[in-house]
Amino acid sequence: MKYNIFSYLIGEGFKNTMKNKKSTFAALSIMIATMIIFGVFLAIIENIDSFLTELEHSQAIQVFMTVDTPQEQIDKLRNDISNLDGVNSVQFVSEEDAVNIMKDYFENNEKLLAGVEDIFPPSFLVNFSDLTKSEEVQSQIINMEGVSTIQNSNETTSALLGVGNAIRLISAIILVFLIVVSLFIISNTIKLTVHARRKEISIMKYVGATNAFIRWPFVVEGIIIGVVAAAISLLAIGLLYNWASTQLMSSVLMQRLGIILVNFTDMFSMLVVVYAILGIGMGVVGSMISMKKYLEV
Amino acid sequence: MIEFKNVSKVYKTGTVGVKNANFVIDKGEFVFLVGASGSGKSTLIKLILKEEDATEGKILINRKDITHLKQSRVPYLRRSMGVVFQDFRLLPDKTVYDNVAFAMYIVNATPKHIRRQVPMLLSLVGLSNKAKVYPHELSGGEQQRVALARALVNNPSMIIADEPTGNLDPETAWEIMSLLNDINLRGTTVVVATHAKDIVDFMKKRVIKLENGFIVSDKKGGYDSEI
Ligand SMILES: Nc1ncnc2c1ncn2[C@@H]1O[C@H](COP(=O)(O)OP(=O)(O)OP(=O)(O)O)[C@@H](O)[C@H]1O
Ligand SMILES: [Mg+2]
Repeated sequence: MKYNIFSYLIGEGFKNTMKNKKSTFAALSIMIATMIIFGVFLAIIENIDSFLTELEHSQAIQVFMTVDTPQEQIDKLRNDISNLDGVNSVQFVSEEDAVNIMKDYFENNEKLLAGVEDIFPPSFLVNFSDLTKSEEVQSQIINMEGVSTIQNSNETTSALLGVGNAIRLISAIILVFLIVVSLFIISNTIKLTVHARRKEISIMKYVGATNAFIRWPFVVEGIIIGVVAAAISLLAIGLLYNWASTQLMSSVLMQRLGIILVNFTDMFSMLVVVYAILGIGMGVVGSMISMKKYLEV
Repeated sequence: MIEFKNVSKVYKTGTVGVKNANFVIDKGEFVFLVGASGSGKSTLIKLILKEEDATEGKILINRKDITHLKQSRVPYLRRSMGVVFQDFRLLPDKTVYDNVAFAMYIVNATPKHIRRQVPMLLSLVGLSNKAKVYPHELSGGEQQRVALARALVNNPSMIIADEPTGNLDPETAWEIMSLLNDINLRGTTVVVATHAKDIVDFMKKRVIKLENGFIVSDKKGGYDSEI
């Protein structure tokens, strides 16, 4: 496309947005509403995700080896455990480390530890990348040569994980539903604009305009509305999120639970991308859907 | 230029629009299409514009068979002809200048070409002083002149007009017809469907007369001349 026709079509798109203030406003409001609700769910999912990841990584198990396990056996075990599916990291705790930890713990009563130095067996601290695999991993480790016992963390975490995953899934379903609904509303709004301008469209066709030529200003219009909606939503969700997280963080319950909310700046780039795709996508797809019928003159 | 070979158009409703039409319109001709209301004039014009597809026969425009022209090629066919209608069909929120320039944007003309061509056409139809005015601020005759300027702006080889004077008072109708005649004298083929009997009688052009979809007469002269 040559520069001339290109700038003409973009110019027409801008003019149309200004000209049809009512429908522009309607489409804009719907898009902003969708995007903000979308943003709220995204923020919830993000926080659940970060909380669960935190939880998963903090849920280490301790694998104790028999006392006086030879070095090559230790190396082999470390390797084998690292290679198990679902394992994030393996950290070796030597006999001396164990003793030092204990000494730290009982720093004022070193006498208590007298003579027990050689009771502490070496161990591994094993972190999970996927906590759901925990049981499977443990049953595999316990059968490895040189392993004596496994010290397990509590059971409640796995229940919590289940709830977290359920919330994640439900939010994802709601997000998809929201997109479909708003796509429907947007394309209907544009359909109304196109309907109002069907005479103009048929005139263009009589003068020899191609479908692409007629469609472009509408697509540009959709994109402009989408981008403006994205910018406004981003600002709104940012303010909303900061306000809400300040409120939540100062609540006693949250402090008790030790939950730290994700920073908005960490979500910012993701929101920009999501909103851009959502805005431009809804604009383009919406105008494509709604134009179809009127181009058959 | 325009050739109909045994062309029939039967609408989906079963109504016959045009039946067995045979004619050739050569380059540079001026042809009137006449006939009572419902005789098939508009149908014939729609077939030329490829707005309707013939149910039978063959249509050639500039020696090209358009009977089975693909939908996506239709815009390019329409660019080879300027079209004028009874109801003017101007874009209401564009100025006179932009209404004419718009037809040039469609064919991706250069800005320089547009700046030269549009004022020239507006002066041809006598509307140089109305360039910045909107269609609703113009009289019917003036609106039709704008439509004519738009039809001509890309130098089409033919002008197709369906009752271009239908909404105009007799005096203005004469003005538009004589403008069409001037355009024809410059070499453009002109086809005009009309009810304006006195003008047809006066201008002594070729007249194709339709009755119930059939061509009942095709000769030079007046509205009522028989075969
Ligand atoms: N889209 C259509 N569907 C069905 N029948 C149609 C359609 N368009 C026209 N007709 C019929 O075809 C016949 C010819 O109509 P056409 O419009 O060609 O007449 P016309 O000569 O232009 O009349 P007028 O002088 O009133 O404009 C009429 O009987 C009309 O009812
Ligand atoms: Mg008619």
